[in-house]
Amino acid sequence: MSQQDIALMAHLLRRAGFGATREELETCVAKGYDAVVEALLHPTEAQCMPDDVIRRYHTDMAELRELNSVGAYWMYRMITTSCPLEEKLALFWHGLFATGYSKLNQARSLLNQIEMFRHHGLGSFATLLVELSKDPAMIIWLDNNDNHKEAINENYGRELLELFSMGIGHYSEQDIKECARAFTGWTLGNAEYMAVRASKDSIWPYSRIAWHFDYRDHDHDDGEKTFLGQTGRFNGADIVNIIVQREETARFLSTRLFQFFAADEVDDAGKPVIDAMMQTYFDSGYEIRAMLRTLFRSAYFRSEQARFTRVKGPVELVIGAVRLAGSYCQPTFGADQLARHTMYMGQGLFQPPSVEGWHEGLEWVDSGTLLERVNFVASELGNVSNPGVRNIINRLAAEDGGTFTPEALVDRCLDLLGPFQVAEDTHTALVGFVARQGAVHLQGHQPGDATEQLVGDVLRLATATREFQLA
Amino acid sequence: MSTQTAVARLALTYVKTIGSVTVQPGRGFINPYDMVSSKDGRLFILNRCDSARAALVRVGVMNFAEDYLGEFGKGYGAGDGQFMLPVAMALDSQERLYITDEHLHRVSIFDLDGNFLGKWGTFGRGEGALHGPAGIAIDAEDRVYIADQHNHRIQAFQSDGTYLGQWGEAGSAPGQFAMPWGVAVDAQGDVYVADWRNDRVQKFTATGQFVASFGTSGTGDGQFQRPSSVAVDPEGYLYIADWGNERVQVLGPDGSVQEVLCGQATLSRWAEEFFAVNPDERETRAMSNLVPTLPAHLNTPHHISSQTEPYFWGPVSVKLDSAGRLYVTEANRHRIQIYQKP
Repeated sequence: MSQQDIALMAHLLRRAGFGATREELETCVAKGYDAVVEALLHPTEAQCMPDDVIRRYHTDMAELRELNSVGAYWMYRMITTSCPLEEKLALFWHGLFATGYSKLNQARSLLNQIEMFRHHGLGSFATLLVELSKDPAMIIWLDNNDNHKEAINENYGRELLELFSMGIGHYSEQDIKECARAFTGWTLGNAEYMAVRASKDSIWPYSRIAWHFDYRDHDHDDGEKTFLGQTGRFNGADIVNIIVQREETARFLSTRLFQFFAADEVDDAGKPVIDAMMQTYFDSGYEIRAMLRTLFRSAYFRSEQARFTRVKGPVELVIGAVRLAGSYCQPTFGADQLARHTMYMGQGLFQPPSVEGWHEGLEWVDSGTLLERVNFVASELGNVSNPGVRNIINRLAAEDGGTFTPEALVDRCLDLLGPFQVAEDTHTALVGFVARQGAVHLQGHQPGDATEQLVGDVLRLATATREFQLA
Repeated sequence: MSTQTAVARLALTYVKTIGSVTVQPGRGFINPYDMVSSKDGRLFILNRCDSARAALVRVGVMNFAEDYLGEFGKGYGAGDGQFMLPVAMALDSQERLYITDEHLHRVSIFDLDGNFLGKWGTFGRGEGALHGPAGIAIDAEDRVYIADQHNHRIQAFQSDGTYLGQWGEAGSAPGQFAMPWGVAVDAQGDVYVADWRNDRVQKFTATGQFVASFGTSGTGDGQFQRPSSVAVDPEGYLYIADWGNERVQVLGPDGSVQEVLCGQATLSRWAEEFFAVNPDERETRAMSNLVPTLPAHLNTPHHISSQTEPYFWGPVSVKLDSAGRLYVTEANRHRIQIYQKP
């Protein structure tokens, strides 16, 4: 098992998941790259923290009324799932089809939207857009409950074209109106009552009532419409069918997937990959799974050039650190704080800044969020009582008699945390920190003793580097 | 144990719903987790609270007519009279109120005026130590039985906390437990345990001798998904909160299924008063169907109850009063549905 294989698998699992422990990497390398890609692309029944155990302990996660409770509930799934791409892709769709709590006051229905992403996120983009159009949270978020036969509301129709499928510049204002007409009658059950409750943030008398889709035929405009040059008595699904056939849609979707899974910026080497994803999009009948297969198996994605070219988003940073540290594997007191941490870092789940979603890449990092990012990760991976950190210590203790020069200890920690490398001056500083303690002997180490703490401190410092912020 | 339907089935009558959600101190429930009724007709409601409003944890006091009578508890924390994650309550022969706390691993005791009388219990796995105490029941001799959740056992104590004995261990064989939750004692002193993660209710003698097991995993009549609470009436009928199936099942003394309740909540007095001053919600509600047909992907008991207001949602406790009323406490709907035994 070569170091190159480990590094490549770590890259794949950082992008298609939330990172991996060394033991997980070794297991995956033994299976082979292509087999792991296929396993990621075919999530079966995910093994994760049992829902009943969560709901019994966390009363708030049974009711799922509170914003941070819902965020933490999803994060438990991200932390413990055996199907990480399913959750990573749901996070991608949550960013692309950004729907926020602030207007809805309905956390459970937002979570139901995430469940919809799990069901349809790897399938046909056409199906996904139809399901999105039927999603009750989206309907309230973009006012389609106010889109009536006699008085259209263009909000959803406009964003469907601009932000969710084609991008601005590829349709006319008249297309937006025709699109909106086609989606009249697409609303949610008990729309009037639910809209009043949402607008008043009412939980009375018996807490929230979750939402479901309802089609009102009598409120649907069944007249003839002309949309993107085609004419017919289109309903919403017909509109989606026209949208997904457009080259602009293929390019929009391929580019967004590329930027989330491959690189924040599309360089010249990345453009042919996007072209290949577009071809796959059409060849496969608009299948997301096939597009991601093209991406993950591309020479570009597998090359060293593609590594550490994305700034970790707050959620992937936090989940990655927790998975590596092995914490939060059981219902944990105060777990809702996890959701608050990502909010402090600029990515509160279910709290996108607007329907545009989050601005990613370097915009994740400013002087305030960087401090939050470093403090959280360092506290998780510098804590020698966390199971994942204990695994790293025990692994080190079993190597070479457990004795390390300062340079060797730093290199082994960087390797087991990634592997990743740091700038020379950073490396020198880390080695200098350890050197002040002299050689490190882990033989006979005891939980929490000074030598273990030193390893914890190296891990803490290593995760505070610029390089650890990148995926 | 047979699940054959008895010839003469016990049919309960829905009486009414009491309570309503709140987000502040005073009248209203916040994730109610258990209730007891005193001899003078007062109802004591344990409000566990969600993480966002943990500081409001308390015992609310009211009566059957929904008059708000006050509240007690000294807030959120580990101090005397405080709670963090309270689970269940029971009254002893002197009507002292015992409340378990699964985070603090202890039992706190109050009188019915809310005065803190004492506490006992320490964290651990040894004799008498507790790890996540959940359900609690007290027999006529004031023996206190506690479902010691993460130690997967039942422990018995004197009312002052003196250890008396224990039975059970982790497992699924008769007499073993998987995260037990609710406990009840009958008129003969036998003990019933909602063996939560084994999807069954087990019956024992007062000293822990296994007597019977009721139910298997599933959604059919007589089957359970994570039963949370059990009550037993003087005739030996069992009332079981089938938490994962969002329902209550009534079994005869022989284990036969008597009735399956899904909930039929109506507006409580407090709810009616809310709508009296919120006409926009009252009027749009009147246009609504609160028992909708849901799409297939939401067709699970939990999802159905999240969207169907009259149904039980999060039934965590079933309790009987001396008048033969059954109180079903719903943590997620912040209310109690009351049924009458014939």
